[in-house]
Amino acid sequence: MTPSSNPFILADGRKPNCMEMLQLILDGEASAKQQDYFKSHMDTCMPCFKSFHLDMSIKELVKTRCCGDQAPQSLVDQIKMQISQNNPS
Amino acid sequence: MEETPKQHYSEKEKNEVFHGEFLPHISSMYNFGYRLTLDRDDAKDLVQDTYLKAYRFIASFQKGTNAKAWLFRILKNSFINDYRKKTKEPSKVDYQEVETYYNSEEFDRQITPDLRVESLKDMIGDEISNALNSLDVDFRTVIILCDLEGFKYEEMAKILDIPIGTVRSRLHRARNLLKEKLTHYAKSMGYKNV
Ligand SMILES: [Zn+2]
Repeated sequence: MTPSSNPFILADGRKPNCMEMLQLILDGEASAKQQDYFKSHMDTCMPCFKSFHLDMSIKELVKTRCCGDQAPQSLVDQIKMQISQNNPS
Repeated sequence: MEETPKQHYSEKEKNEVFHGEFLPHISSMYNFGYRLTLDRDDAKDLVQDTYLKAYRFIASFQKGTNAKAWLFRILKNSFINDYRKKTKEPSKVDYQEVETYYNSEEFDRQITPDLRVESLKDMIGDEISNALNSLDVDFRTVIILCDLEGFKYEEMAKILDIPIGTVRSRLHRARNLLKEKLTHYAKSMGYKNV
């Protein structure tokens, strides 16, 4: 493998398009090499640069706004109680 | 998961696995249950049901493997088999259509929405959460698994019992739908230049 070879190239030799590369990055499936490649790709590809920042911002927002609810303690207690009742030890 | 040989746990080991490997995921499970049902009481029932099932079938769980994915799969199945039947949740989207969408030239067309990062920053209320909740449950699910819980394609494929290609296409479509919703919110919030 030459240092400049595209790490996104598929087993069948096909080169994925911009959107396919971006999706692997967004979905957290890109390898370190692919991430590096994509970073330099964005220097010369404006659509990727724009989409990447927008999509990553949305991903981050979803994570911070739609998470973080602690399970109610009553639920935890209820489950523990049911388990211990089913299994008197 | 089915192919895992039955484990033999003593009562003490069962409790160790349950408390050490299952219970730590309860908040993620609760959040998943809530995002699926959009109801906190239903989410509690679903999570409780999942944990009781997990305990009952603990012999199918191999200690030290991915407990979180295993639990998520049980919860998802309970949701489909027990909960969804009772409710009026619309049935599945047409995946044939989704696959076609993904494989068509449409996919090659770079969709650069007009939405701007700056207008997202002003969505400080429930806009993001509401946008997610408004997606069809199957699209909501892949966003939760990937973006909130950080599951990989392979894990998602196992949790959802679908091929990896379908995971990818569903995620792709879900992200676009979410973006559409957010663009709509941004417009309704009065951005001239979303
Ligand atoms: Zn590009």
